[in-house]
Amino acid sequence: MSEPPQLETPLTAAIVLPAELAAAPGALDRLLARIGEHVNPILVKETRQALKSRQFTITFALLLLFGWGWSMLGPAVFGPEIRYAPKGTAMFIGYYLILAFPLLVIVPFSAFRSLIGESEEGTYELIAITTLRPSQIVSGKLASAGLQMAIYLSAIAPCVAFTYLLRGIDFLTMALAIFFTVLASLGLSLCGLLLATLTTEKHWQVVLSVVGIIGLLFTFMVNCQLASGMILMGGSAFGQPGFWNALAIFLMNYAGYFLLLFFAATAQLTFASDNRSTRLRIAMLIEHAIIVASLAWGWLETDFPPDLFAVAALLLTLHWYVLGACMTAESPGLSLRVRRRLPQSLLGRAVFTWFNPGPATGYVFAVAAMLGMLAVVAIAAQFHPVSTAAAPTAAFRPPVGRFEIAAFAMLCVSYLTIYLGLGLALIRALRRICQVRRLLAILVQVLLVLLGTIVPFTIQLSSPELRHLDYSYLQITNPFWTLFEALGHWGVLLTYDLLWVILPLAALLVFVLNLPAIAREVGQVRVAKPVRVEEEDAQQNALQPTRKDPWDDAFPASDGGPADA
Amino acid sequence: MIDGRPMIELRKLHRNFGATRAVDDVSFEVQRGQVFGYIGPNGAGKTTSMRILSTLDLPTLGDALVDGFSVIDDPDRVRRRLGFMPDYFGTYANVNVREYLDFFARAYQIRGRDRLIAVDRVMRFTGLCVLAEKPIAALSKGMKQRLCLGRALIHDPAVLVLDEPAAGLDPRARIELREMLRALAAEGKAILISSHILTELAEICDVVGILERGRLLAVGTVEQIQAQGQTPESLVEVRVLGGAGPLAAWLAQRGRSRELRTNGDALAFLHPGGAEAEADLLRAMIEAGFRVVAFGSRRRSLEDVFMQVTRGLVQ
Repeated sequence: MSEPPQLETPLTAAIVLPAELAAAPGALDRLLARIGEHVNPILVKETRQALKSRQFTITFALLLLFGWGWSMLGPAVFGPEIRYAPKGTAMFIGYYLILAFPLLVIVPFSAFRSLIGESEEGTYELIAITTLRPSQIVSGKLASAGLQMAIYLSAIAPCVAFTYLLRGIDFLTMALAIFFTVLASLGLSLCGLLLATLTTEKHWQVVLSVVGIIGLLFTFMVNCQLASGMILMGGSAFGQPGFWNALAIFLMNYAGYFLLLFFAATAQLTFASDNRSTRLRIAMLIEHAIIVASLAWGWLETDFPPDLFAVAALLLTLHWYVLGACMTAESPGLSLRVRRRLPQSLLGRAVFTWFNPGPATGYVFAVAAMLGMLAVVAIAAQFHPVSTAAAPTAAFRPPVGRFEIAAFAMLCVSYLTIYLGLGLALIRALRRICQVRRLLAILVQVLLVLLGTIVPFTIQLSSPELRHLDYSYLQITNPFWTLFEALGHWGVLLTYDLLWVILPLAALLVFVLNLPAIAREVGQVRVAKPVRVEEEDAQQNALQPTRKDPWDDAFPASDGGPADA
Repeated sequence: MIDGRPMIELRKLHRNFGATRAVDDVSFEVQRGQVFGYIGPNGAGKTTSMRILSTLDLPTLGDALVDGFSVIDDPDRVRRRLGFMPDYFGTYANVNVREYLDFFARAYQIRGRDRLIAVDRVMRFTGLCVLAEKPIAALSKGMKQRLCLGRALIHDPAVLVLDEPAAGLDPRARIELREMLRALAAEGKAILISSHILTELAEICDVVGILERGRLLAVGTVEQIQAQGQTPESLVEVRVLGGAGPLAAWLAQRGRSRELRTNGDALAFLHPGGAEAEADLLRAMIEAGFRVVAFGSRRRSLEDVFMQVTRGLVQ
């Protein structure tokens, strides 16, 4: 057996940097190195990997090849006409299609595969035990997708500039088409990352991959149709009234949902004992505020049809039902880590308790948001000039008044309160006899709504007397029929006037039924940090003192304060 | 050791997967500078408890502490102190050795010049300097193991958890790994190491814990475990002129020695007691007229102890 080797350097020994590392770099290198220090580590790693990967090389080469190909084929097809006719639009659509495929299919799928690959290769666990935060992992992957997009865009940019010279298309149309595609690509990449966090099981990952690629191809085709329409319509849309306001509302909502999805992906990667909910709930509240702001804008626009308030209420119900189902599926127990940061003051507990993780606080959060929506819709309908005049909203529909819109919104709130509340009670009961994972809890919520819908529907269909009837009180547990019936025929709310009495009362009853669970979660109090944590915090604070106020004498004037320290 | 606090502490750790108790009420401590050998058959629960300790999983009951911080409630503080080398490589495609280590140094928030130094130090320590620019995919298994150890060491953790680090290594690589671990322990790091190669562990571990079906059957030094429930025994080997048969009969008559095996002039047997008892035995043999030409003894090996403690049960 050979002699054991002598270790070159013990870990604690002083290291002399090798010459190439120790050499003083130039000013530009120093600046770049300083910038590089603040770049997300995942982005650095992904960029190094991506630039050497076969997939990137092939995609980039094909993009260039198709770009050059279209640059030669296009003029050949158009012939001499290209010299005097404005052919920029047709050329741009060609380049757009070439660019859209990598942006809408390759980049999002690469983001999805990148995170799945980490899980498959076992590297995700190695990253998870570093000091990287889950938000850094998600943002790093997203930034990497953004960088790939930038490279693809830069490859096609000369071609796009060429189309502008051919006339027939304005700069704003081109910029908006590319801008929307980049937004779509980023959004899809984020969805891909969120999908990748949903499971670590190999077979589910394969299923998600297939579903993902089909979804991306479908999105690509739909997007190409929409974008082609927008490009052909050109600048005429920009001058239409409300275009820029609608664009601003779209961008705000995009940002809100982007934030929500980002925190959802982050929460999926967060350690089980950590707080996964508070940031998500803040993002939900921001998105809710954006939707309400959009409604307020609609209220200010005098030609905004009043029954769109009801449509918005319906969409918000769906939105909060999905979010509420996810929140009520959370674990009821708070970890000691979370309990260390619970609010203590009365005001803090009253306002911020609902942001704490927990199914019951989540239920209250969803119901409170819907009540907020009800108030906004009711106020908007009350003061809307069209609705107060009870003007007809469409040739084939009766006029809609302020009462109908407010009553409709109340029905929405009631259904949400009832179904989420019953689901919460059922999940709580199930947890007494078995372990209920998040997916199962969400399924319970969905099944409950399906039962409430299908059972009365089946009874009506199977009964010879009821089969030919239209809507009746039998369908009171069917939220879809009831709400769509009300939305289609506002008179239903007057004919079946018990609806807006029974449903709110039932909602109140279900809410009261859940009060003990709510009280239990609200009753959680802050716990002290462990002694060891206090010790370390004290040590770190001693090493890095923070100035509490300008007269803090911990920082003598001579030492320049913490910056110098 | 700071304030006598153990660097690793498992407190009544349980981890159930359905009806299977992967880890069942395991408790032990590892002090600073100590190497703790975690041994047990496949499926004994070693990897599960190591994953819990490395904040990759949560226990069903109980807790694990690293430098006094709970893996459940303070995983962030645990991660700063702990380097984990799992039983798989976890390497990236299209990345070379330096880039790989640089990425993990960045992931541990090591900035600027400190990062360059950390990467260089780890490459020197693991002997990877000459392979700095080599793609990871082109590394041999032994070199990948070194790289993974380097990754676990990049943030200079006080605690190392190594799951089967010597698996699949050739003898030279194993010896080199052993030397590295010795050096790390000498620097004061607490090391928890699992391995199937018990001879390797016996040479570097201060303490061993034997795990079977999720339960910790024994903890302590090899001698302490051997002494649990019975008198310590030595394996004595004797060579006598004129054949070992009469000596075997004499020993059997005395009744204290057991598992006697003869082979021509040679005789091997287990004898209770320490050096004093062996000296007395040798004197008694000579006084009885046996012509002893060789007399040697050795303590029971970790393998012997392992076989003694475990029953070969799996779950």
